[in-house]
Amino acid sequence: MSLDLTHAADFDTSVKLALYGITAESGRIPALDAVVERVAGTTDTVKEAYLRLRARRLLWLEADSITVRMAPPFSGVPTQHRVMVDGIEYYANCAWDAFGILAALHRPGLVRSRCEQSLAPLELYVGSHGPEPSP
Amino acid sequence: MLFFRSEELINEWCRSRGVAPRPIVHMDQLWQLAVTWYSTRLEAESRRPAPNEMRSIFEGIGLAGDFWDPTADMFG
Repeated sequence: MSLDLTHAADFDTSVKLALYGITAESGRIPALDAVVERVAGTTDTVKEAYLRLRARRLLWLEADSITVRMAPPFSGVPTQHRVMVDGIEYYANCAWDAFGILAALHRPGLVRSRCEQSLAPLELYVGSHGPEPSP
Repeated sequence: MLFFRSEELINEWCRSRGVAPRPIVHMDQLWQLAVTWYSTRLEAESRRPAPNEMRSIFEGIGLAGDFWDPTADMFG
């Protein structure tokens, strides 16, 4: 039994790394089949891993249980919080996650969002030590 | 969590929606939260902080009070 649990945990880690890796490379959270291909698994085994990762609150799934809505800090749907890193655009779930994408990627970048009251666009340059002063 | 250009605009936003103001997180605090939460997210051993760890993280950057109680709210 413990062996099975170990294997499941290892597989879950592989699935998580595949999902995040593809997202980091492309800017978009991948569809299930891309993760299946990356981990050389099957649709069923990856779906089961998604459910376990959801239970650990590492993924938020749509009702179909195969579409990843959030892999924090990344968003699976377009949002007002966009992050540009090395020419790739990412969507963040919120302000915290916008900075979180830069922290996760360990890269400097540009956060494009808006002031929620005035709706004025915001551009925040974030270096390795955090956001730089903005006008 | 949303961005605002000033505390005045936060208050306007709250008044226009009839909601009580919530704690303000400044940019340097937000960056510290982001680094603490997500800097290992793409690594094999990463995990969400446990509730007691969350409390320490929040308190360590000056975020205290009921709003920051991880047993009462959902965190990302």
